[in-house]
Amino acid sequence: MNVQVVYCNHHTANLEIRERLAFSSPDSLRRAYDELRQRFPRSEHVLVSTCNRIEVYTAQEDPADTPTSAQVAEFFADFHHVPLTDFLDDLLEQQGPEAVRHLFEVASSIDSMVLGESQIVNQIKAAYELSMQTEANGPLINALFQRALTVSSRVRTETKLSSGRVSIASVAVGEFGKGIFDRFDDKTVLVIGAGEMATETLMYLRDEGVKRILVCNRNLERAHRLAGEFSGEAVSWNQLEDCLRRADVIVSTTGAELPVVTKEMMKTIRRHTGPRPLFILDLGAPRDFEPGIGELDDAVFLYDIDDLEATCERNRGKRAEEVLKAQNIIEEETQRFMQDLHHQATGPIVKRLREHWEETSRQELEILFRKLPDLEETERLAIEKTISRIVNKLLHPPLETLHQEARTGTPHGMIDAIKRLFHLRDEN
Amino acid sequence: MLDKVSVFCFLASYAVACLLELTQFLRRSTAMRWSAIAFTGAGLVAHTAYLVVRSRQHDLPPLLGSTHDWLLVFAWLAVVLFLGIQIWNGELSIGIFCLPVVLGMVVASQWVSSSPIPQMAEMRRWGMIHATLWVFGILGVVLALLVSLMYLVQHSRLKQKQRQLEALHLFSLERLSRMNWWLIVVSVPLLTLGVLSGLWMIHLSKQGSHPVDLFSTAVLANAVIWGVMAFLFGWLLAGRHQTGRMIAWRTLLACLFMLLTLLAMMLTSTDRIHGTDAASGPGAVS
Repeated sequence: MNVQVVYCNHHTANLEIRERLAFSSPDSLRRAYDELRQRFPRSEHVLVSTCNRIEVYTAQEDPADTPTSAQVAEFFADFHHVPLTDFLDDLLEQQGPEAVRHLFEVASSIDSMVLGESQIVNQIKAAYELSMQTEANGPLINALFQRALTVSSRVRTETKLSSGRVSIASVAVGEFGKGIFDRFDDKTVLVIGAGEMATETLMYLRDEGVKRILVCNRNLERAHRLAGEFSGEAVSWNQLEDCLRRADVIVSTTGAELPVVTKEMMKTIRRHTGPRPLFILDLGAPRDFEPGIGELDDAVFLYDIDDLEATCERNRGKRAEEVLKAQNIIEEETQRFMQDLHHQATGPIVKRLREHWEETSRQELEILFRKLPDLEETERLAIEKTISRIVNKLLHPPLETLHQEARTGTPHGMIDAIKRLFHLRDEN
Repeated sequence: MLDKVSVFCFLASYAVACLLELTQFLRRSTAMRWSAIAFTGAGLVAHTAYLVVRSRQHDLPPLLGSTHDWLLVFAWLAVVLFLGIQIWNGELSIGIFCLPVVLGMVVASQWVSSSPIPQMAEMRRWGMIHATLWVFGILGVVLALLVSLMYLVQHSRLKQKQRQLEALHLFSLERLSRMNWWLIVVSVPLLTLGVLSGLWMIHLSKQGSHPVDLFSTAVLANAVIWGVMAFLFGWLLAGRHQTGRMIAWRTLLACLFMLLTLLAMMLTSTDRIHGTDAASGPGAVS
């Protein structure tokens, strides 16, 4: 059994690379799962693609079936039509307990740009659900991801990682937005996109006193739903330019593969609005605003995900103690998961050994009872119990040793030895 | 006891406070911040005592005593404002901007006339009006300069997408921009009234024993200062499509020019009203 992850994230790759490797829509994710199944048919898969990370988790019954990181890199290159040399140095690979620990850290937001943010756990959940829908999952992936969600919940409950500024929006508004604007209750906020990130951003902005909210989304129904939730106004996609003119704060979170707002478009808009301050928070990956927009004039302040990295690092430093607590939990859970995984590998041999001994004792008891037909029922039961105790006592030392060995890895040598010593054949 | 308070006492206090403020950039410390406030407070007490003693000695309000006293009153007002803001919002990094100006004013006061202005005995009421209008007008201009400087620092941080330094907490661009606008809008009328009252005093002085020349360096320099500020004022009110950064730069340059002119006038003019004491020369005050 093996678990592997090949990934790039905000620590290893810049936003430009992440944009090119991202699976930004459910459709591209489905196509990616099909492709993975074709390339690695004996593996179970989960693809996690967020603005900060692109990760491929694979799990195999037989470690020999594990795809190499080069093979996964080729998959990225072929799927996205990106030359391998552009991103190969940005890819990392983890195997076994390291891969498990990595997933637990990701799910617990230890590895997130904003420490303690809650969005990542939903993103992991969504990735796992899509894997199930496309039947890319399997027993190993199920065990791994279900445990990851449990670990995430435990970290949130037992540490204070999730207190304070824990969303990218809150960090961006706190660090930069409040440096531009004194107050938000007289500002018009335009949200482009109606996903979870948009909801989270609006929740924070509402707490800051924002009253005028415009939600512009390709799917007007979703825009209406989100706008309704925050007493805002839903606007159809073809009114985007008009909304851009009205806005003081723009938060963009679409999954578009190309920029939604170009430099030329914004230049025209700025000619109409004049040089009033404009705070743009581009949380999309790929980016929704062309980077040159930030240089249009003195009063346009454009921030993308990577620009928030330094601030998030500082927040991380402030919560070092909580991070340590979370890491201890993750370490404990990783070891427990690996033990369970290895026990799962020893499970069939233990079951067969027990069945083999119980069958032998049952046969011997039948012979004995035939020879002693006058035995009372209570006497029979007493003999059966004694034999059962003897079987258990005799089985205890080898099973205990097997159990101990399974803590550090699948004890292949010991399993083989038991099979040979007790003449146990492999199950078909 | 109060007679023993010298300029050095409060100059040293403000200098220590300024150094303590600077240490915040090396290591953020609440103790250091409070120590800076305490030193500034101690300096203010000494500063007040010094002005009171000088006022008693000349039997004139500090504003009218001499150019030396006028500059010290100006510095005193700046310190009061600084302490007020620090108490209102302890997080703001005002000291690093305000204290160097205070130190500059106190040092400059050493180089200007400290002898009582002879005309003041004859025109005490008009003198008070003139000096008050100028001191508040110039204070507004200096504050506009500082606010513009803060704006440019904050703007640069935001444009370069840098995190906020713990030691450099500033107001938002929106507030700094608004403050800058109001400071110019309030200062220019004060300076205008100051110029008008000054002209009236020149007219009155013709009838007295110490007439003032309308075309003296000091009067002309004041007129230039007023002209620059009036131009900035008009541009602010009438201009369109100005970005906050542009306004901050122009304000900064105009205020800097005005301050340098004012200091140059005070250091070079020998009319004993706005400048050095020809008889005693620079550094006459101890």
